[in-house]
Amino acid sequence: MSADLAYSTRRFTFAAAHRYSVEEWSPEENERVFGRLTVAHGHNYMLDVTIRGPIDPQTGMVIDLGELKRIVGETVVERFDHADLNADALFRGRVPTTENLAIVVWELLAPKLGADRLWQVRVWEDPTLYVDYRGA
Amino acid sequence: MVALTRVYHFSAAHQLANPALSPERNAALYGDCHRRHGHNYYLEVTVAGRPDPVTGMAVDLGRLDDTVNGAVVAQVDHRSLEEVPALRGVITTGESLARAFWRILAPALPTGALRRVAVVETAKNRFEYEGGVG
Repeated sequence: MSADLAYSTRRFTFAAAHRYSVEEWSPEENERVFGRLTVAHGHNYMLDVTIRGPIDPQTGMVIDLGELKRIVGETVVERFDHADLNADALFRGRVPTTENLAIVVWELLAPKLGADRLWQVRVWEDPTLYVDYRGA
Repeated sequence: MVALTRVYHFSAAHQLANPALSPERNAALYGDCHRRHGHNYYLEVTVAGRPDPVTGMAVDLGRLDDTVNGAVVAQVDHRSLEEVPALRGVITTGESLARAFWRILAPALPTGALRRVAVVETAKNRFEYEGGVG
């Protein structure tokens, strides 16, 4: 018996700096692999957080979008907005690629929202590139 | 496993017609779309992979761009789609373009990496192809 599941997505934005480099590598090796991405630069990131769940018969909602906004705001946006991703402890030994950022955002949100409710994290680095992560 | 989507753009003319049908039948079947016209297309290519533990990259974006730009975008941008050799025999609806681009890209990308090809014909019309299974 499948529940009557629906999906709610809210979009967030944050502006952050990053650069790609592997600490153990020489500057030449980093330059060869990452090219211009070794130089600090920034993006206007967009984050789409999708919650999956049954529609509450009382409220008609999958999730209170105000609650979602508060949780994502406190957990992700405040942490990364106008920040340097490379300086964040979560990116110690982890290159802040869009792929890794999507995984990090998931890891921050799953305990707060519940891995059963959190369906997908989509991180847009710019309007031409996004990464989806669903926790596995 | 993450899924990375890259958005590409091209502008092209096209005209829906099945060469096996009469002009009258084509006009009746495709309506306005039977007249030659054009679109600002967006092409979304989704590939899946696990981020490399060292580089953090699941996809070599430079290689993906080179592949898609060379095998698709350069072939179709500012052209009439009916005259593109790689699209010979394709009725250039959005869904048929998505399937045709899948068939071009799947063998050109790492085995099993391609997950979805989406063709956005206008802000109102979006077509997706995921390999014909599922």
